[in-house]
Amino acid sequence: MSASDKVVLVSGASGGVGRGIAIACGRAGWTVWIAARREAQAGQVAEEVDEAGGRGHIVRCDAGDEASVRDAVATVVAEDGRLDGVVHNATSGLSPRPCDLADVALADVADHVGVSVRGTYLLAAASHAHLVVTGGSFVVLTSEAGFEGKAKLPVYAAVKGAQRGMARALAREWGPEGVRVNCVAPLAATPAMEEAFERDPAMAARVLGRNPLGRLGDAADDVGPVVRFLLSDDARYVNGMTVMADGASCPIT
Amino acid sequence: MSGPLVIGPDDPGVAELAHALGGTRAVVPVVRAVPDDPGWRWSEPLEVWRSEVAGGDPAPAVVVAGPAPAVAPHPLAELTADEWAQRAETALAVWVAALGAGKARTADGGALVAVLDRPAPLDSGGWAAESGVADAVEALVRSLARSEGPRGVRVNAVSTPLRVTAPEVVDPAPPLRSFPGRLDREVAGAVRLLLAEDAAGVTGTVVHADCGRSWR
Repeated sequence: MSASDKVVLVSGASGGVGRGIAIACGRAGWTVWIAARREAQAGQVAEEVDEAGGRGHIVRCDAGDEASVRDAVATVVAEDGRLDGVVHNATSGLSPRPCDLADVALADVADHVGVSVRGTYLLAAASHAHLVVTGGSFVVLTSEAGFEGKAKLPVYAAVKGAQRGMARALAREWGPEGVRVNCVAPLAATPAMEEAFERDPAMAARVLGRNPLGRLGDAADDVGPVVRFLLSDDARYVNGMTVMADGASCPIT
Repeated sequence: MSGPLVIGPDDPGVAELAHALGGTRAVVPVVRAVPDDPGWRWSEPLEVWRSEVAGGDPAPAVVVAGPAPAVAPHPLAELTADEWAQRAETALAVWVAALGAGKARTADGGALVAVLDRPAPLDSGGWAAESGVADAVEALVRSLARSEGPRGVRVNAVSTPLRVTAPEVVDPAPPLRSFPGRLDREVAGAVRLLLAEDAAGVTGTVVHADCGRSWR
């Protein structure tokens, strides 16, 4: 393994933004573990990573479940002997569904929190010691919603905000050990975005109308390389940041 | 003008704030997250309570406060599952229920202010769970500012590091020697400011009543 090779785990990588991140890392020749619940789709992404020039593997992972996350990280280290980077991208399947704080079912809130927020904690706890060994990088996928809120998606906005806050503090905790922690806030064409547009027909005009680039990002070509940068040694002095990969859509940075 | 409706847990900090504001209280029931209950069945009392409180008379001024944070910092990766659940998931559930009730109770043209515990970024090591909760509440506040704005309701937040600052802070020292401030002085003062008609054009904003520690 050369110095530029990396072994990275990407949660929620069986589709959408996670798939794009996996492919972008594959293009660098890295070993990419597709950590997801949907094993069939994960296998397809692993093949795409291989085709891109990397080495794709799958490992089953339910991001909100402690044993599942611990086993997934242990599998990667057992197979490859190291872990250079972790990307927490998985989000609840409820993410694009509108809700109202006055009557949202707390069981639904639990699903959002479990995958996004508890998932961040569980992945951090499981990977910390391994990232210290490699001087690695931990990247969390958040959203513009975490900055500015969303009228119809308040719980989604809350969990994305929570991830930013956790990453900011974690960067201070892990920096002395040589491990960097950052966030990326993407705006990309994904199945979840398509579902959100279908549920709220005015949303497409709202989302694209304020974006000076006038289009949604591509997960593999626009977002994935930003995450790959944060995982790479080129970002060795970037820590505690949220990088916007959204075409300047969000008015808050 | 009478004081605001103050929604929050049965906590000395909330009581002090309510007293300083001359408010009446709606007390959030005590819940405790259970780590091996991913569906949050433990949160059911919050849903019942939210429904009851939401049906009350509209109030022109509402203040929502969260549960008292943990008493000491602790590295995130070293938290047990139960510690994580209490520091993060209990707090998030209480905030969602309390802000939901607060939204429902705020009269058209009224104002809602959330008072949240926020570790200053410089001093946030060991407070990852609490920093996460704080950013989550800010996102909820901005979400409500958007959804309630059309009926003339302003929604803002006041943050304080008072209960989430270790005795030793990172240099340089905060600009004001009054750091980290007091609930009945710096925090209550910022809340009054945001509830007042003088703030008629202010919504979706977080005022950091932290004596200059953050400047976020």
